[in-house]
Amino acid sequence: MASYLLAMAVFAGFYALMALGLNVIWGLAGMINLGLVGFFAIGAYTAALLSVKLHVPMLVGWGAAAIAGSVAGALLAVVTARLKGDYLAIVTLGFSEIVRLTASNEIWLTGGTDGISAIPGPFRGALSPLGFNLVFAGLIWGVVAVTALALGRLSASPFGRVLRAIREDEMVAAVAGKPVLAFKVRAFALGAGVLGFAGALYAHYNGYVAPDAFQPLITIYVVLALTAGGTGTMRGAMLGAVLVIALTEGTRFLDDVLPGLAPVQIAALREALIGTALIVILTWRPQGLVAERTRVLQLEAL
Amino acid sequence: MTIIPTRRQAMLAALAMPFLGRVAQGAAAEPILIGTLTPQTGAGGSFGPGMVKVAKAVVDDINAAGGVLGRKIELVSADDETNPDAGVRAARKLIDVNKVDAIAGTWASAVTMAVAPLCWDNKVMLFTVSGADSITKLPHQGYIIRTQPNTYLQSGRIAKYIVGDKATKVFGLSAQTPFAVDSYNRLAEVLKAGNVEPLGDIVYDAAKTSFRSEIDQALKTKPDALFLNSYTPDITVLLRELFRAGYEGKRYTFGYAATPKLLENVPADVVEGLVSFAPSPDLGSPAYARVKRILGAEPDPYAAQIHDHISLIALSIAKAGASGGVAIHDFVRAVGDAGGTKVTSAIDGLKLLADGKAVNFEGASGPCKFTPLGDIEDCKFRFDVAEKGKYRLLSIS
Amino acid sequence: MTDLLQLLINGLLAGTLLAVPAIGFTTIYAVLRFPNFAVASLATIGAYGGYVANVRFGLPLPASLLAAFVTAGVAGVASDEIALRRLRLSGPLTLAIASVALTIVLENCVRFGFGNDLRGYDLPVLRDWRVAGLRIGPQQVENAGAALVAMAALFLFLAFTRTGKMMRAVADNPMLASLKGIDAVTVARIAVFTGMGLAGYGGMLIGLDTSVDPLTGFRVMLSVFAAAVVGGLGSIPGAVAGAFVVGVGEELSLLVLDPAYRTAVGFVAILAVLSFRPRGLLGERAF
Repeated sequence: MASYLLAMAVFAGFYALMALGLNVIWGLAGMINLGLVGFFAIGAYTAALLSVKLHVPMLVGWGAAAIAGSVAGALLAVVTARLKGDYLAIVTLGFSEIVRLTASNEIWLTGGTDGISAIPGPFRGALSPLGFNLVFAGLIWGVVAVTALALGRLSASPFGRVLRAIREDEMVAAVAGKPVLAFKVRAFALGAGVLGFAGALYAHYNGYVAPDAFQPLITIYVVLALTAGGTGTMRGAMLGAVLVIALTEGTRFLDDVLPGLAPVQIAALREALIGTALIVILTWRPQGLVAERTRVLQLEAL
Repeated sequence: MTIIPTRRQAMLAALAMPFLGRVAQGAAAEPILIGTLTPQTGAGGSFGPGMVKVAKAVVDDINAAGGVLGRKIELVSADDETNPDAGVRAARKLIDVNKVDAIAGTWASAVTMAVAPLCWDNKVMLFTVSGADSITKLPHQGYIIRTQPNTYLQSGRIAKYIVGDKATKVFGLSAQTPFAVDSYNRLAEVLKAGNVEPLGDIVYDAAKTSFRSEIDQALKTKPDALFLNSYTPDITVLLRELFRAGYEGKRYTFGYAATPKLLENVPADVVEGLVSFAPSPDLGSPAYARVKRILGAEPDPYAAQIHDHISLIALSIAKAGASGGVAIHDFVRAVGDAGGTKVTSAIDGLKLLADGKAVNFEGASGPCKFTPLGDIEDCKFRFDVAEKGKYRLLSIS
Repeated sequence: MTDLLQLLINGLLAGTLLAVPAIGFTTIYAVLRFPNFAVASLATIGAYGGYVANVRFGLPLPASLLAAFVTAGVAGVASDEIALRRLRLSGPLTLAIASVALTIVLENCVRFGFGNDLRGYDLPVLRDWRVAGLRIGPQQVENAGAALVAMAALFLFLAFTRTGKMMRAVADNPMLASLKGIDAVTVARIAVFTGMGLAGYGGMLIGLDTSVDPLTGFRVMLSVFAAAVVGGLGSIPGAVAGAFVVGVGEELSLLVLDPAYRTAVGFVAILAVLSFRPRGLLGERAF
């Protein structure tokens, strides 16, 4: 059981890290990014290929994954510079599908749908499965904490304030003399870098990457995590991620309490419950569990 | 029905214990846990439910006959969502929380590849129906058993059949899968050796709703036979469109794509003459008949295979005299003992094993003898042809 | 040349099928101003509604299509009232995200009731016509015809009925419409009923060509959203134009690219169109 809970904590950590990355792009800068699993995949593949094919040290691979995610993010931000709202949403969604298709079809590089296996994990050979989960849970949540702190600082900095200004009204920000595109590209690159880094950790934890692992469902869960937790806040991103994993994994125990239903019905019930719970949370706390405290609100409180 | 004296089995188990790595903690009453990890949702969703139904029925039969080593088997089912990311978490639950000895039934190759390291790290046996050749090449230390013949074996046999069926020019249409390219290459190799011309292969995106243009491209090469390396949803579309296009040549595909259920749902003239191909036991196999009875319909290959997974697990534990992944790992090849009595059900085998006799298990998918890598050594294949909306057995060879 | 024409025909036929759910999606957007991703599961529900009518009750195709429309329309309104209505004030993004959760719930309701088995309609499959070396499917033409009937009916409804005019008024300027005493709640309900009904109708048309299972709607949704976005969200003629761009674009891509990349090409096309017209081909004027 301990091993299981630790493993789920690791997965929650991945989701939290992704939610933090998304929070920079969407929460702060207001750009909808439904392609986040694409950056996650780019990071995962970068790290996996570097370590399996070129035997590059793991830490170097992680750095490279973050850079690869950043570069892809910056490029996408430039290409989609003129798009807003729902248009940006669909194009970014398409981007992640293109990443998945490329990973499936460029067999010479990615191994195709076979994926890449035997990716080493930090101290995996030297530790028991429980020990490995313990080390990794510590690693990922350490990374999450550092990222959350750093992004929190950033969000309060002049850079963060400009991003929020752009989110609220791009025109006003532009009139105030801020180079809107440059800020957007930087926000996108930063968020995508975090996503790429999360992907690298994921590859080394699972030891295996394949295109099928990067389906849009992950994007949906992370977006739901951030919305339920509270867009724009770092604590909300982390809380939402834990909540989503608790929901998707907790419902796996339905089998044990619901005899008499066919397995396919239990599976259906489980996914329906996940969806329902998220709708209930959104209805109950439309601003998320942790609402963003903006300057206006603070003034009112005074 | 005779109930096997449980006390004797418990004694046997106790005797065997000191020789085995993992000890069954003494408590004879504790159930043996087996997990199934099948697709209940997502792209593989049409196969998972039937697989679990068969697995449950086999477990119920064994328990009704007294269980294994005097212990009941308890089945825990999990949904892998046809997704390696979710599959890993589901497998974690089975391994870490339910403490299963073995996981049976993983279907999508990507799920099997993702779950396999967890299994061998935790000494849990993994029985799979996935087709990708790379699976058994993983460093799994013997913890993977695959009942699905690998791509090389399957495609070679289907190609031989095509050669014998007097086709002259063959084109391939393949869904994007881990084995699409390997399959076609092996097919082409055997076809060439038989003086049949392989015309080429198109790998398509199975999620599309129309393959008209792909079919035009294929038919332009004027094939007289098509090799459809597909799954059920996309082959439904392909078969309709081939019919519409007026294609009159031969069509060959895998039994898991053109399932008996598919024939029920497509007009009979659309599938008329389609030849499907599946690993198979001998004609009149009681195990196959049992799976058919459980499902109330002609079984698809995966339902037949999971029958064998569960049976093999039960028999290996009985042969070892102890439960646990290591016991299954060490004895799974000993229940397909060529010198033993041939049995086709776990219950018959358990009786013989309880009497200290050797058994040679032959299941619903065929003989269960495995190479050191975990692939089945060899197996027969059945060829069925669709006639008036039903399959008619052509041959088993 | 014949090849090119054939690809064009295939693309146009594929486009008419995409157009119906795309119109449904865009109709709801026009009135409620958020992308309702639940169209995916409601297309599936429509396909099942038509399946029950056709196979269980033996109704002919037109009546089954009507059943698909009504089933999806009613299910759409009911689920909207239960799950989304209370979120209307929380902004379009929250609504869009809740609609994703809703579509997961609805897909699984279908799965709970019907299982995952593939089902097919009880209709014969006909051979294609061959005209001057080109291949045209009578059923594809029939389906395209059914799609056109739905589009025409929607146009007449919006152009000539009182309710239709109210819908347009709300879509053009909700503030002005409410000043004129148009009941926004009723209009929203009608828009959801029409939009989801069309999604269901389109879902059945797609099911006719493929098969019916809990993922029928989901499989085509990316292309449907793409069509609506290319055309300009909220614009009905735009959705039709967008569907043709996506349908034809995906087919023509086969000339230069591997078929496995078809989906990708659709998105590159979107990016190309949106780079020149960031609000889609026909902008966001509703009708």
